[in-house]
Amino acid sequence: MKHILQQVFRSGKFVTGFSIFMAIILIVVFYPMIITDAPLSIIGQGTFFPPGIYVSVYDSLSSTTYILNLDDATTKRITNKLNDEDRVSIKEWLVAAGIPESEIDTTDTQKLLDQWFTNYDSQKNVPGMTNAKRNYYVRLNTALKSLLSPEAAAVMQVNPLNNELEQIGTINQTDYVNVGEVANIRILPLGTDNFGRDVLTELVSATRVSLQIGFVAGIIATLIGLTLGLLAGYIGGFVDDIITFITNLFIVIPPFVLLILISFSIGQEQRGAFTIAVVIGFTSWVWTARAVRSQVISLRNRDHVNLSKLSGHSIVHIILNDILPYILSYVIMAFILQISSGILAEAGLSILGLGPRTTDVPTLGLMMNWAMIYQAHILGNWWAYMPVLVTIALITFSMNLMNTGMDQIFNPALRD
Amino acid sequence: MLKGYLKYFLNKLGWFALTFVFAFLLNFILPRLMPGDPVAAIVSRFAQGMSNTSGVQAIYEQYTELFGTNKPMTEQFFIYLKNVARGDFGFSFSQYPRTVADVIKSSIWWTIALQFPAIIVGWLIGNTLGALAAYLKGGFDKVLMPISLFVSNFPTFGMAVIFMVVFGVNLKWFPTSGGYGFDLIPNFSWNFIQSVIVHYQLPFWSIVVIAIGGQAIGMRSMSIYELNADYVKYSRFMGIKDRKIVGYVFRNAMLPQVTGLALSIGTMVGGALVAEIVFSYPGLGTTLLRAVLGQDYPLISAVTLIITVMALFANFIIEILYGFIDPRIKATQSD
Amino acid sequence: MANTMLEVKDLSTKYVTRFNEGVYAVDRVSLKVEEGKSLGIAGESGCGKSTLALSLMGYYFPPLHYMNGDITINGNNISGLKAEDVRKTILGKEVAYIPQAAMNALNPTRKIIHFIEDVILEHEMYVTKKDIYGRAKKLFETLGLPPEVLQKYPVELSGGMKQRTVIAISVMLLPKVLIADEPSSALDVTSQKMVIKMLKHLMEAGFISSMIFITHELPLLYNVVDDIMVMYAGQIVEKGSSHEMVFDPIHPYSKGLMGSIIVPEKGLRDVKLTAIPGVPPNLKKPPAGCRFAERCRFVRPECRVTDVAMREAEHGRMYRCIIPEAELREAYAREEHKNG
Repeated sequence: MKHILQQVFRSGKFVTGFSIFMAIILIVVFYPMIITDAPLSIIGQGTFFPPGIYVSVYDSLSSTTYILNLDDATTKRITNKLNDEDRVSIKEWLVAAGIPESEIDTTDTQKLLDQWFTNYDSQKNVPGMTNAKRNYYVRLNTALKSLLSPEAAAVMQVNPLNNELEQIGTINQTDYVNVGEVANIRILPLGTDNFGRDVLTELVSATRVSLQIGFVAGIIATLIGLTLGLLAGYIGGFVDDIITFITNLFIVIPPFVLLILISFSIGQEQRGAFTIAVVIGFTSWVWTARAVRSQVISLRNRDHVNLSKLSGHSIVHIILNDILPYILSYVIMAFILQISSGILAEAGLSILGLGPRTTDVPTLGLMMNWAMIYQAHILGNWWAYMPVLVTIALITFSMNLMNTGMDQIFNPALRD
Repeated sequence: MLKGYLKYFLNKLGWFALTFVFAFLLNFILPRLMPGDPVAAIVSRFAQGMSNTSGVQAIYEQYTELFGTNKPMTEQFFIYLKNVARGDFGFSFSQYPRTVADVIKSSIWWTIALQFPAIIVGWLIGNTLGALAAYLKGGFDKVLMPISLFVSNFPTFGMAVIFMVVFGVNLKWFPTSGGYGFDLIPNFSWNFIQSVIVHYQLPFWSIVVIAIGGQAIGMRSMSIYELNADYVKYSRFMGIKDRKIVGYVFRNAMLPQVTGLALSIGTMVGGALVAEIVFSYPGLGTTLLRAVLGQDYPLISAVTLIITVMALFANFIIEILYGFIDPRIKATQSD
Repeated sequence: MANTMLEVKDLSTKYVTRFNEGVYAVDRVSLKVEEGKSLGIAGESGCGKSTLALSLMGYYFPPLHYMNGDITINGNNISGLKAEDVRKTILGKEVAYIPQAAMNALNPTRKIIHFIEDVILEHEMYVTKKDIYGRAKKLFETLGLPPEVLQKYPVELSGGMKQRTVIAISVMLLPKVLIADEPSSALDVTSQKMVIKMLKHLMEAGFISSMIFITHELPLLYNVVDDIMVMYAGQIVEKGSSHEMVFDPIHPYSKGLMGSIIVPEKGLRDVKLTAIPGVPPNLKKPPAGCRFAERCRFVRPECRVTDVAMREAEHGRMYRCIIPEAELREAYAREEHKNG
């Protein structure tokens, strides 16, 4: 056993897969200890806040202000505000006003603005310009001017004594706060989802639940498959015929269809993550049963098994001592595959709307489902679905790498 | 020889019939095994969302008649059997007053035209790549295998989402949803056909790419196994040229891949159905999603039955073809 | 003097592992087989005897690589030939091979007759399939195999039948040399006997002109071949007539090898079964000096210094040891006396 482990850990593929998988497990275990928020608590009012550091505006106002005179502050401010469409529009106007196109560079904010302010005239009519477009230019001009004006913004508050608005302070363009002194800052590395939940916290929790589903499904499928495979392979005859018949039936009937039927019949309220895991386990044992059966058949007439039979050992004894150890590597490989396919099955079910009920825990499939329903992929809100896909891919890829590594060790022909 | 094949064919046909009966039974029994009165629950759930009371009444009566819910199980089964044999699956809950048969008729061809070509193309490309990887080894193998391993473990819906985001949303090369332009009415005009072809690409290739990965890995393993077989060495030392031996090897390696396809077609179809959903492709997958969302029990039941029959039939066809490709079948069955 | 069918001089070949290490499995082997004669090669598994069998045909493909030496078959030196020429003109025609695992030596999806067609069409240009069938049928009948076998797939044949079919295919083109690598090791006793009988018959009936028979089962060799060579760690350590080799080995390793088997032959029944302690050296880095030194009970310091050459003994026998023949025989006599 120790020898086999040593061998397995010498396989580059296995070690890579194992490291990725352990890293995922470690994150899943330790992350909730550090960030203790409930994974499904809704913190954002609105959908799909992009990833980033969120700083409380209110707290910033009451923080100590520091004055920093930075040369490029204005340019940066405008660059930030002036989007690509505005730039193209400015260029259009300038070209229409007679500036040669070669002299306009939409990427050089400072120059573009200079050209704009020296040439813009709201009275001037560019041929073919609609009224709406004219109004747009007026608005743009005002917005740009206010950005450039050195005037401070006033902070007002309602005085509770007389219900009047009173100025309590001003904010100059050169005022800064130190983020460290602001009371409320929230880092959302993966933004929020359609419900306004922290995607990262949700993702870690979902990964944990999905892994649990995979494990439960894997254990159930492996146990059923192993038992049936052992019985069919070892006892043979009629028992084998029956089991092989059932196995072949379930191989050709799409397991996904069974999953759909059962999940739907159970009903939304009854469908917890655990129930789904059990259902997946009960519909995915066929491959294990098949593999175990053929392995056992090849083992059944080996000398050491015959010797054990002659010594009068019971079937249970023979199976445990003379057969199981020889097929253990296959069983473990099948188990690993079951886990990853269980995770995928849950995801598939959830996308169909037949996943675990949505109220208590997130799963990778449910997160995917939510993201799809709210069209995150079409709206470009990558943080809502991409991390989920990457996590699924990492889990299944790492498990299959482990499997391939083990396969190469146990089937030397595949080595090179 | 012919006798041997006939025997094989009849054997497979019998098996097909048997699995069909079993699948049919499962489709009937599974939903009925659940606790409670599913009919009442489903109809009442449905009725909540519906303002047309005469519609509810019609469905309720239709449903009771169709399934004979107050009759014993065996009688219910024969009623169901009779109705299904007539192609009568009752009304769709969610798309009333359309019948289930009508809904399925309008979506099944989309699925057949999408999935089976995609699975076959993926199988062909995957096997070619896998065989090349085993034969060429070296760099080609080292690049292709990790990619295949990664891709084959990726869910089909994930590939669909990525294809859609990259080629549909960002590059805008292809439309992101539907089976044809939303402003078109299905007909045989060039405009419509062109639209169908353009809409076909993304769902098709995302299924193909997933299939390629798994098949390439399987074919590579089989080919390496065959390349190391004793008959290769013996044939070489009897002076047979390498080209011919490679022919032996790939033919032999391909045979288990054909059987493998027959066995895994059920799983592949399941994955591809979800990919359809991502693209809102007007096939059975999307129909299924709508049925689930609309708690449309008759539609779900019919769609799952159709999908099962399709998978069984595909499996049957592959097995039948296999009998032609593997010469041993005819030979060993005849004695 | 009879014609020499196969002569090999100083042949060395190696395996190259996937880590690019060389395994020097055949080291400067020389041998000669004359017309009508058969030569047995014996040794423990891993001693390089199967590699030697593959190396004798002058056709190498990875992981086996040719290093140096000459192979002459029926008077033609084939070492200088291009691989493609060896394949067309030598393999199957001049020298034929029966593999160790003949059970799986035939392509499972090809009928026997089609494989025979493939083989013959590689070597003969103007021949029709009808002719081939006629020839194959005649050969099978002569060798006592039912001609119906030709129309079957390998899966339809029993193990013994498959092995005999492989042998028949190998001699289809009447090769000068037949190399049989443990052709009977996987069979039951009855099939083994049939295979041996068939091989003997092939020699007697002139289907083949000479034979090399490789096995780890020495009693089999004694019954089949005229001469025996013993191989150890890629080198020949002793050769002589089969009777001398079995009853009167000179080299300590041959002595040990003969002692480590149960031979139901008269005169050997009482010999005590002894195992040779230790394991053969790693052929990735063969030791300097005598390769058997580590396991030899007569080892002397000078054994480990330089290569030990083959030396001649009586009746043209050869052995590889620095100790003179007489001294070794004395030592054996003393041991026997001590053991009673």
